Amino acid sequence: MTSKNRIQNGEIIASVDGSLYSSQTVFKCTYWFGDKFHVNVQQESGDYVITLRPMPNANISEGELPYYLQKLERDLVDFHLRDIVNNETGSIRELLVAKAFSNGEYDEAPPGEISDPVGFAPLV
Amino acid sequence: MPIRFHRLNDQKEVLVNEVGDHLVVPSGTFARLVQKELDKEGEADLYGDLVAGHFIAESPIPTLIDVLATRYRTKKSFLDNFTTLHLFVVSLRCEHTCHYCQVSRVTQDKGKFDMSRAHIDKGIDIMMQSPSPHVTMEFQGGEALLAFDNIVYAVDRTKELALLHNKTVTYVICTNLAVINEEMLNYCKENNILISSSLDGPASVHNENRKRPGKNSYELAIRGIELSRKILGKSRVSALMTTTNLSLEHPIEIVEEYYRQGFWNIFLRPISPYGFAVKNEAKNKYEMDKFLSFYKKALNRILEYNLQGEFFREDYATIILRKILTPFPVGYVDLNSPTGAVTNVVVFNYDGAVFASDESRMLAEMKDFTFQLGHLDTDSYEDLMYGEKARKIVAAGTNESLPGCSDCAYQLYCGADPIHHHATQGDMIGYRPTSTFCQRNMEIIRYLIELMDSDKKIKSIFESWVKPQF
Ligand code: SF4
Repeated sequence: MTSKNRIQNGEIIASVDGSLYSSQTVFKCTYWFGDKFHVNVQQESGDYVITLRPMPNANISEGELPYYLQKLERDLVDFHLRDIVNNETGSIRELLVAKAFSNGEYDEAPPGEISDPVGFAPLV
Repeated sequence: MPIRFHRLNDQKEVLVNEVGDHLVVPSGTFARLVQKELDKEGEADLYGDLVAGHFIAESPIPTLIDVLATRYRTKKSFLDNFTTLHLFVVSLRCEHTCHYCQVSRVTQDKGKFDMSRAHIDKGIDIMMQSPSPHVTMEFQGGEALLAFDNIVYAVDRTKELALLHNKTVTYVICTNLAVINEEMLNYCKENNILISSSLDGPASVHNENRKRPGKNSYELAIRGIELSRKILGKSRVSALMTTTNLSLEHPIEIVEEYYRQGFWNIFLRPISPYGFAVKNEAKNKYEMDKFLSFYKKALNRILEYNLQGEFFREDYATIILRKILTPFPVGYVDLNSPTGAVTNVVVFNYDGAVFASDESRMLAEMKDFTFQLGHLDTDSYEDLMYGEKARKIVAAGTNESLPGCSDCAYQLYCGADPIHHHATQGDMIGYRPTSTFCQRNMEIIRYLIELMDSDKKIKSIFESWVKPQF
């Protein structure tokens, strides 16, 4: 992924391997750059090409762009990992929430008790 | 198991499971965990912590899923009783002219700016329809005590109806204390009414924030706090501060003032977004940076008192810490998901208009009626609480499904605030990268976890804050 990434004409350009990364990962990640950059995502022969152009009022100097490129690369990996967890465990999350609010539709009342090892009583 | 993670700093990251337990681990742990690179034997401690805390499971559907479901339901059980807090704006009149207050009127015109008895009656009737066996009736202004006759009328009527409807009621008067007297306080004592007063800091800050003829708001507040404590008892009198730009320059002095006045807690409330310029995102971010720096300086001073053996608590941190450290629900309007507006609080304005929160009525004073749920003259309980507006607000106030929040590790510790986002970004859903709500909560939550991780003494102090005090 990193080899094609560069800073060019005051813009950050990053190429993301479409066979490894989902569009969901790309958009969830670039969402957080929208406060400082105009974000553009395009598909080119199966890869995603991300362009970040600093907004005029964001006060980002040319010298700071390598930091943001590094942050983009790191965040892409972070969101990719989150994507994996979501894919592998999404059904457990759904089951858990469904059971929590099912009022016994999925089983009898959930038998668990709230453990309170530190001794906190319920707070109103 | 479904888990989320967030980077705390360069060395550490935090993992949070689906029921809000957290574990601070070295950076890179989440990546190794996802890539299944953890060494069960070689890293037995970490592996044990992850299994015990339900961050990972050794079987595909963990046997403990029922326990987790119960815990999840408990975390959200603040919803069970629906709206409990009912604010009655008994008068819009005030003798102060605080520059940050958009609503109050300096006037003798009771007829125009005091709540009518008919509207008080209807508000009480709506409150009695709340599914909750316990409700809170809070009197607000203007200066609520200028309409003390309204308060007496409302309390007396509510007492009768509460017996009929089998409800317990907590009464609170929010007041700047300037006009409080023994007669009023004796009535409060007879009726178990709590006093929520205002104290912005030392005289130099308080009097500058709270203008009134005589420039003696501070002196009257201190006199009122002392008199209220004498008649009602110390625990029945609390104080709230309003943070202004001037306050931001005096974090230490404000904390020390609260300590000097014998309070064992202080609520470092964020600056109201209505002081923020709508859609001026760069300026808002800068203002929030200033607030965060104020907050940390003040919190560190509070921790110094605690490290010297005093009990002195910061309330915003305590709300978040209860969510982080205990399995129990925390119903605080601004940090709930679904949002506490409507589901936790409703406001009956002096003119009979009904709003989703106190901030909503401030917006209405600026001619923005987005969060007006209806009117006491025309709408039923169902219209107000389950109407189209209420549903729209709650849908936009559920962070599990908001962009940015849906993957955030702090989702369970944070909340959603459609009113703040509407006011500052012109959109109830909001845009997290420029949201000052997100900026504030993300940093405060991160900071609290980092503090606990860095110093076991601070962790013990925080644990003492979340234990019930009475
Ligand atoms: S507002 Fe920010 S900190 Fe709070 S849950 Fe959403 S993304 Fe996380």
